[in-house]
Amino acid sequence: MHSFELFLPDNIKDASLRGGPNAVFKAAGTDLLDRLKERIENPETLINLLEFKKDLAGINPQAGGFDIGSLTSIHDIASSASLAGPEWRALKQAAETTATPQIRNRGTLGGNLLQKTRCWYLRSEAFKCLHGGRGPSCLAVDGENRYHSVMGTLDCMRVHPSNLAPALYVLGAELSTQSGEESNRFPIAELYPELPLASEAEHTLSDNEILTHIHIPAAVTGTSTAYVESREKLSFDWATTAAAVLLVMKGKAILSGRICLGAVAPNPIPCDQAAEMLAGQDASMELFGKVAAAAYAKAVPLAQNEYKIELGKAVLRDALAQASGLR
Amino acid sequence: MTMNPSDPANFSRRAFLKGASVAAVGSRVGTEFSKGAELDKSSSILDKGSHPITLQVNGSKRELKIETRSTLLDALRDSLDLTGSKKVCDRGACGACTVLLDGEPVNSCMTLAFDAVDAEITTIEGLARGDELHPMQQAFVEEDALQCGFCTPGMVMSAVACSKRHGGSPSMDQIKNDMSGNICRCGTYPRVFKAIQAAGKEGGR
Repeated sequence: MHSFELFLPDNIKDASLRGGPNAVFKAAGTDLLDRLKERIENPETLINLLEFKKDLAGINPQAGGFDIGSLTSIHDIASSASLAGPEWRALKQAAETTATPQIRNRGTLGGNLLQKTRCWYLRSEAFKCLHGGRGPSCLAVDGENRYHSVMGTLDCMRVHPSNLAPALYVLGAELSTQSGEESNRFPIAELYPELPLASEAEHTLSDNEILTHIHIPAAVTGTSTAYVESREKLSFDWATTAAAVLLVMKGKAILSGRICLGAVAPNPIPCDQAAEMLAGQDASMELFGKVAAAAYAKAVPLAQNEYKIELGKAVLRDALAQASGLR
Repeated sequence: MTMNPSDPANFSRRAFLKGASVAAVGSRVGTEFSKGAELDKSSSILDKGSHPITLQVNGSKRELKIETRSTLLDALRDSLDLTGSKKVCDRGACGACTVLLDGEPVNSCMTLAFDAVDAEITTIEGLARGDELHPMQQAFVEEDALQCGFCTPGMVMSAVACSKRHGGSPSMDQIKNDMSGNICRCGTYPRVFKAIQAAGKEGGR
């Protein structure tokens, strides 16, 4: 990797103000070092957010939900006793399946949400990737695309790599950021670009904006969540498809539901229409099959990834079955 | 600011880095920073050159000079001659570089050396007491838990952490989970699992 200067901020405001086009914020650096070693990014300055580990790590109960610091390790989420209930299960399951024990010990929640896509064309400087600013078109469209988008009709076939993001979507999470002295709070969906074109960054934070907290609201009575993903290896792998679901149950009856898919499109994909089919119905595998079909109704496969559609439906059915207690 | 890095009272990460060759940022205000912002003078910049740091490795303080981009693995291997931790994938995918940072296994290849300044670092070299192997190392020998041995230093570090985390008697599921970040191309996993069980409580020493 190229040399860089390391900025050690005394406070978040300083860190924010040092941000800019040639600077990158670093938490644990797990994904960032990967990108630097591959020389797909060569920033002049790394701004070390680990200076704030004491302030921005921790899972704090707040009004029936939680405020989670962006520097909280994935391990701390996976092993948190506070998150043990069925209403938070999706978050724990997503954390438990992330990467390896070594990376979970070090990698942070904020870093998981802001890591870059695993697309091999983006990740190698040798390829003239449109999203990487190195070429005229997306090489995955006609190239090696077995892990790519099945929802993309845009100009970039990347998929979103975060497994915690879909879980946070269904939990209704909001994010807090700081730019200079200004704080912002917004729903997690706004972290990702509305139209995830190749030219768009993978998140909407400005060069001076630092993700500080993830807020999870209180869960209503009867809430149960689950996260399931498919992948090729049991460890150190990213999902080929993923589904997070939230159900509000009363006995066997589903009062309402939320669904968010991961690893199938450039953004996490909330499936509100499919989720509406759950409301007022009794939990059954037949119902879940119909809901999964609806969630993937608009899917369009590339040459090598048609398998992801059937697999994704199965993963969603499994998540619904787990959350409803059928399995 | 002058200080003695060997004085534990002074051994805070920020204080030490400031004591080392660090440029104050005050002089940069208004030139490089956007929005004409005022930065607190207590923030600091380490330039692209080499900087002296102290790492706490295997119970002793080691002074070395490294660039900001140096990974902990490169610092251990190239500057401190601790070549037990292996560089294989250099991407956090294989676990051969596993060391303990404050007792928890991490990939030293994906950790900047500067981020390890405040931590207690334990490498494979720190386990044996003189000629007496650590109980986990001894268990690996007795169970023949290696073939080529290249993954073994990382395996042993994860194994020690696993044993410690589960009070010396991890279940097979716990072992498989805790060892899932270490890859062995010879496929000696069953013997590694046996060694961890055989090491018992002493394995997490």
